Amino acid sequence: MNGPSNQLNFDALVVGGGIAGGEAALNLASTGYKVLLVEKELSIGGKMIMLSKVFPTLDCAACITTPKVSEISRHPNITIFTSSEISSINKIAENNFEATVVRQPRYVVIEDCTACQLCEQACPVSVPDQYQYNLVGRKAAFIPFSIASPKAAAIDIENCVLCGACEKVCPTNCIDFTQEVETFQVNAKTVILATGFKLFDPLMIPRYGFGLYKNVITSMQMERELAPTRPFNTVLRPGDGKVPDKIAYVLCTGSRDATIGNPICSQICCMYSIKQAQLLMGALPMADVTIYYINIRSFGKGFDEFYQQAKGMGVNFVKGKIGKISEQGNGNLTLRYEDINEGIVKEADHDMVILSVGVLPNQDASDFFGQDELQLDPYNFIHQTDVLASPALTSIKGVFVAGTASGPMDIPDSILSAGSASSEAISYLIQE
Amino acid sequence: MKKKIGVYICHCGGNISDYVDVEKVKKSIEDEGGVYLAKTTMFACSDSNQKDMVDDIKGNELNGIVVASCSPKLHLTTFRNVSERADLNKYNYVHANIREQDSWAHSDDKNGATEKAILLVKAAIAKARLAEPLIPNKIQAQKAVAVIGGGIAGMKAAIALSDKDCPVYLIEKAPFVGGRVAQWGNMFTSNQTGEELITKLYHELIKRKNITLFTGAEVTHNAGSIGDFRLKVSVQPRYFTGTCEEKQLQQAIDACPVEVLDEFNFNLTKRKAIYRNAASEYPQTATIDMENCTRCGKCEAICDKIDLSQKEEILDLHVGSVLMATGFDPYTPAEGEYGYNEVDNVLTLPQFVRMLELSDKKLIRNGKEIKNIAYIYCVGSRQEEDGNTYCSRYCCTSAIHTSVEVKKKFPGVYNYHFNRGIRTYGKQELLYAESLQLGDIYLQGDEESLPEVSGESGKTMVKVKDILSAGRLIEVEADLVVLVTGMVPRADNSVGSMFKLPKGRDKFFNEIHMKLRPVETFIDGVTIAGACQGPKNIMESVNSALAAATKSYSYVSKGELETEPIVAEVDAELCSWCDACTAACPFDAISMTNESSKAIALINNSVCKGCGMCLPVCPTDALNLIAYSNNEIESMIDALAAG
Repeated sequence: MNGPSNQLNFDALVVGGGIAGGEAALNLASTGYKVLLVEKELSIGGKMIMLSKVFPTLDCAACITTPKVSEISRHPNITIFTSSEISSINKIAENNFEATVVRQPRYVVIEDCTACQLCEQACPVSVPDQYQYNLVGRKAAFIPFSIASPKAAAIDIENCVLCGACEKVCPTNCIDFTQEVETFQVNAKTVILATGFKLFDPLMIPRYGFGLYKNVITSMQMERELAPTRPFNTVLRPGDGKVPDKIAYVLCTGSRDATIGNPICSQICCMYSIKQAQLLMGALPMADVTIYYINIRSFGKGFDEFYQQAKGMGVNFVKGKIGKISEQGNGNLTLRYEDINEGIVKEADHDMVILSVGVLPNQDASDFFGQDELQLDPYNFIHQTDVLASPALTSIKGVFVAGTASGPMDIPDSILSAGSASSEAISYLIQE
Repeated sequence: MKKKIGVYICHCGGNISDYVDVEKVKKSIEDEGGVYLAKTTMFACSDSNQKDMVDDIKGNELNGIVVASCSPKLHLTTFRNVSERADLNKYNYVHANIREQDSWAHSDDKNGATEKAILLVKAAIAKARLAEPLIPNKIQAQKAVAVIGGGIAGMKAAIALSDKDCPVYLIEKAPFVGGRVAQWGNMFTSNQTGEELITKLYHELIKRKNITLFTGAEVTHNAGSIGDFRLKVSVQPRYFTGTCEEKQLQQAIDACPVEVLDEFNFNLTKRKAIYRNAASEYPQTATIDMENCTRCGKCEAICDKIDLSQKEEILDLHVGSVLMATGFDPYTPAEGEYGYNEVDNVLTLPQFVRMLELSDKKLIRNGKEIKNIAYIYCVGSRQEEDGNTYCSRYCCTSAIHTSVEVKKKFPGVYNYHFNRGIRTYGKQELLYAESLQLGDIYLQGDEESLPEVSGESGKTMVKVKDILSAGRLIEVEADLVVLVTGMVPRADNSVGSMFKLPKGRDKFFNEIHMKLRPVETFIDGVTIAGACQGPKNIMESVNSALAAATKSYSYVSKGELETEPIVAEVDAELCSWCDACTAACPFDAISMTNESSKAIALINNSVCKGCGMCLPVCPTDALNLIAYSNNEIESMIDALAAG
């Protein structure tokens, strides 16, 4: 079904609808350029929209992200493709890129869906909810999450049993199983890569017991437990639903660790862990929170003060790298570590352990380009060819990088980097 | 027309509803006069609720809305846009802040918080009943931007604006552009030198016809506001009418009797009052430092291109936006802080960087070859509460990079790093790893046990209770102590105060919102870039400079700007021009005008911020603040007081 309507023209193609891509798209659109924003997931908003609160201001992430997301989705100059991926981008000449964009069927007509959730209730299939980082389940017919944009149902066709129950209950007949994969040919004059990062998978460190011990979770899972749209409406440990009262954070899980292939620092884990510790102190006033760290890297504006504040609130900071985690009969966990201050190996018991997982490159973008090579840096982030003077430049002229696609960074830095990439893209559009 | 008001009360996902019974608030206000519908919502700002609001307004022909949620600082624009999309004049929307001013402030008293929320919403409804539709004022925006500060951030911002076909005035106070970067040698991560980077950027600058560069220039006066800033710039002369022959210039410099400390080398060396630029500073020409020149005329006698009679020039610039890139000062340690100015071999990191640049075969201090170097971190950063509590973010990496450079240039040197936890974030971590590989020694203290420097009988000793060796007291004899100093705000804030730029608790210029509006300030049309907003490394400064350029460009690119219609207005009959209001106005928005041969006050609508400071001082009640009239305020007070 590739008719002429599948041939699209834009000034800019922005790949990735997280906070960096969204910011870049908005900058370009409000300058008057037509933008196509391509997002792989069912909703734009990236990782930020999933967070609880953000450091060091403790603004709730949703309160900052949702209006941005709303502005992006309503901007007359921005077209959004969700559930869509780039299959290739070819540079024909300066200001002339040809991209092939593949959109997966959602099996729901977004415009007609009112997000009434009747399909969710009718669907008999339950699977782990990736948007709650598998803490709870969801249906095969589901609204991705409550503040998703677009807020519309989707059918997870891999798990759907095609029983038709959702179709029967849908009051607007918006479920359409005849939708097919669509391919679009997009012409754009410039490209911004805002493909973001991946979280480190702690299964790669078996000695921490993630996946084996139920009360060892990742920081992103804790982020969900603390978010306003939290799955349990309180903080509890997954093993037995008990409210934890002795919580440990293991910093540098998958960062600064050559043994798992990631020698660099992820730049955000210290701060998000300190933030979560502060939120936990608020949510569970009786709980003890201990952060095991190598160095605390609270380097940004207001960050060190935030760290001092956490110390003042009674968060316990222990300098030492965790060697091994083992489970006791009651689901509690024993952490073996070197206490650097005392110079001895110690053990400590906790009833819940949060692994502060690091930032890894999302290498999707390296496969987009055929003829021109998009260079990656030694850690497989997108290489910044003029890192000091023009940090948004990549090895391909006219292709710019925004946000964590070029390396770990926090939200303020991602937004500045998106501003930087937009500036380069606007200049490129005007000059060529 | 009878008001039909829609009221939306937000849970804020628990931020409000954990402490305020939002359903009770809804019930309590449903029957207020004018209220047509009342709803609660999980997130008022969410896309789906915005859609509902638009449908409600259109479907029920609402002519007023009240949103009770977080601070209007966050979402005023969001809900104004909702109104506009529903064809409702955006000034018919009234906001009630029940989060910052209620749920967060009274988390210990749920009943009290709920009662207060009810009153706040009732007051907002009272105001909405009286709200009038307003039309924003339109102003012409001058398509030109003034960039203040010619360091890396200012230079990059100027180039970025120029490339968007936007005329730029780049105003640098020093006789040369290049800023702090010009003082650095090899830089992390690209291994470019400061000189290479600045040379490249300067050539980019001067080839662009729409950039006008002023050196030795300062903004001395500012009038006007967004879209229409009128600046006065004083430009100091260079005292040269052309280029002196090289030999003559050298003779002139030799003849100059005045010798002063050279700030480019952080006072490690001296220069004359007539001096050449450093290789990394541009334009590449000599200049005369008139603060120290005695006007003896010796140089003038040698080279006829020197003209000491040149006068400063005052220029008038008209721009639509001002981009502030005024940079930072390196922290100057207090007398005796870690032996500074007391023990002979104590230097700051910037001084040491210059010393390295000036050293060739051997690293010598006071006639002695340097073997052991002690670096003391966090000097001027992470201090106790009344000091600089912040981390300066660039210094760990900078110190380690310098120590690696030292080792490459002078392989026999030993580096001892007295740190407080190394913060080589991101890819900078690799540099730390490299330094450890090279055999550098790291010793760590903390805020309770900082390192101590002592100089006795010709020996300089540094000692610390080292966390990394289980708290043992370790002492190092150092030939040189390098104080790794942080960044502090510019001591001279004259240009900041001229624009009334607010500062944060760290005394750097403050952005409106770190995440939503990181380069904008509360002064409309003035953006901030680089280290004047807070410590940054070069890449971060450039990113912020380009982000600020994008923002400044957005102010001026369309030629026309809308400004708030919420301004003060004058009742010509009541006004007797007593002049009390001009003194009360913090924005210089009020002047005198003659109307039918009567002197009265005139409000400049594009400068007035609607702050209301002028109202209470007016003895004849001739001033009114649009949208905050006595009527509206009294009705709100009545609603609050009625309980």
